[in-house]
Amino acid sequence: MFDPIPWLILLPLAWGCLAFLAGVGRGGRLAFAGLIIQLALTIVLARQIAMEGARHYAVGGWGAPLGIDLYVDGLTGVMLLLIHVVTLPLVVYARAYFSCQAEGVGYFWPLTLFLLAAMNALFMSADIFNIYVTLELLSLAAVGLVAAAGSAGPIAAAVRYLLVTLLGSGAYLMGVALLYGTYGSVSLTVLGPLLAATEISAAVFLAAMLMLTGLLLKTALFPFHFWLPPAHGSAPAPVSALLSALVIKASFYLILRLWFDLFAPLVTIPVAQLLGGLGAAAILWGSVLAFMQVRLKMLVAYSTVAQIGYLFLLFPLMMLPIPEAAESALQGGMMQLVAHALAKAAMFAAAGVMVLSAGKDDIALLSGMSSHLPLTLFAFALAGVTLMGLPPSGGFIAKWLLISSAVNGGQWGWVAVMILGGLLSAAYVFKVLCQAFLPPVAGVKFKPVRRVLEWPAFLLALISLLLGFRSGEILSLLGGG
Amino acid sequence: MKNLFNALVIVLFAVLGLTLIWVILELQPPTHVHLSKQVLTQLDASGVTHPVTAVLLNFRGYDTLLEVMVLLLALLGVLAQIGKREQRNLSAWFRLSQPYLQVLLWLVRMIVPLMVLVAGYLLWVGGHQPGGAFQAGAVLAAAGVLLNLSGVLPSWAEPAWNLRTGLVFGLLVFLLVAAAVMVVASPGLLLQYPPASAGMLILLIEMGLTLSLGLILAGLFLFLSGDAIEDEAEK
Repeated sequence: MFDPIPWLILLPLAWGCLAFLAGVGRGGRLAFAGLIIQLALTIVLARQIAMEGARHYAVGGWGAPLGIDLYVDGLTGVMLLLIHVVTLPLVVYARAYFSCQAEGVGYFWPLTLFLLAAMNALFMSADIFNIYVTLELLSLAAVGLVAAAGSAGPIAAAVRYLLVTLLGSGAYLMGVALLYGTYGSVSLTVLGPLLAATEISAAVFLAAMLMLTGLLLKTALFPFHFWLPPAHGSAPAPVSALLSALVIKASFYLILRLWFDLFAPLVTIPVAQLLGGLGAAAILWGSVLAFMQVRLKMLVAYSTVAQIGYLFLLFPLMMLPIPEAAESALQGGMMQLVAHALAKAAMFAAAGVMVLSAGKDDIALLSGMSSHLPLTLFAFALAGVTLMGLPPSGGFIAKWLLISSAVNGGQWGWVAVMILGGLLSAAYVFKVLCQAFLPPVAGVKFKPVRRVLEWPAFLLALISLLLGFRSGEILSLLGGG
Repeated sequence: MKNLFNALVIVLFAVLGLTLIWVILELQPPTHVHLSKQVLTQLDASGVTHPVTAVLLNFRGYDTLLEVMVLLLALLGVLAQIGKREQRNLSAWFRLSQPYLQVLLWLVRMIVPLMVLVAGYLLWVGGHQPGGAFQAGAVLAAAGVLLNLSGVLPSWAEPAWNLRTGLVFGLLVFLLVAAAVMVVASPGLLLQYPPASAGMLILLIEMGLTLSLGLILAGLFLFLSGDAIEDEAEK
């Protein structure tokens, strides 16, 4: 049987090295070809998981605890498919984008390919130290992408991002050291049963706290969101799309894994309520701030702050004593993750096209955009439909599952937050749409853009919308592992 | 408000620091898993006789593969900063015209060949004693920094194809060895060296890595040092 797991790690690393070898601004075609191969490998892997269930993979053949183990299950399969489906249209988009605006390109291609390698490795890892290494790889690639724009604003944002992300990694690593000091292993498969069987010492408790806090910082959950809008808002549009759609999801994925696997014996209802509360605050605060922005990309970035909040509502809902409520909470959270990744990639891509065409990132300059770039505006609106949670989008299924879980458990507070959040996201999406439908201001000329720039955003938005019809497959892959 | 916030952060981190110290003092030696014993029992199958090298390049070679990519990424971050800035260096003749620098130059010319020799020794000795590609690369990088500071080696501008090749050479060798082993020796198994040739493969990987790590680490300094010297010249 052909095993795609090792190739999903080796190939993107090789593409990254080769793209660097090719030089500044080169490697777009390589990235496209490489991503198609990797998407095929991911589909093979997802089918294997769906047929045969979750499995371990011992790198080097040593097996934990001496060697490093990888682990793939339904959740891994969904995440791997998601990052490849989102990145492939963005690669087409980025090639067209940097052909119009060459100065920001730098080493975009090698950095993007290393970013993919880091995420592939992270999603498959079952070793907390190896996870730390993949986190470093991911953060440095992401910081490099933000800094690649080269001008002062993005570099300041990149340095701030670097400091925050290093602080997060540092806290995580300290936790790893404490766990290793207590149990003598860094393998999740070895640590899991040990934590469940032994009495939890203060060191383990502190380790859990440090690791979760570090990851929350990287996920930009309120009140740790302060670094996100400048970093995501000032990067070139393809970079913003990658970071907002995928990179923050990687650290969220780790929180989810650790919470339900390694730290399951430590988890208490008040901590889950706290995470849910922060999520609720993120939804409200992020949406209000998004509405108040004057720059389009900052609006989209603050919308990410808000949408991350929904993901954290699944923690208190998963603690509900009713099994159906807990199950639909997890499904809703995962659907939200997938739908937001697709919609946010589409939204940033569309915003990038509009900013290119208007010449400046300012919502007030969008008047008349509806007749100039109808397809792009349509993509923006479709992505907005997912963020608002209107049927038949993936966002609707996600919010439906989360709300029904909360109703099932009688948690009316969360229901109110989610409904209010949906209304607020409608407000900021319509703020952009209303401006774009105004008649063009006399004398303002939009620059023409290449057609190929418009289609990727539309495709991503369409997938996020149609996700609602195919949510069954995603949920069954999730449950299969 | 800002002072209050700063005070809060200081208190928070002081509490965290004290808690960490307390927790680490309380820590008992782990009784559940004995990794060092496992390393020693499996050492014969690793292809090398030094346990640290065995862990770094065989038992946890996958971590090392990713770590060297992290170093390359750090360099890419640095390269994003040099952008289109003009690179100017104090040229060697300016340095040579300073009489007090003659001593430095003489010393550097004596030491650098020795450093290259030491790097080669560290690489070779890594198989059975402390040493290996990272140490050897660090010594090479130090030699590069020394040459740059004494004006013999100019700072690096945007790397051309030959420098880029050197920077990724070792990484590509590592990937190629991994792919070749997976195709030829143990199908579908990542980084599973056949015990008979493990020592040779590890040496091959380390040779490539020594060169590339040396260049990458030197690059972290040499790509940015041009500007620093330029600032001084302007003052």
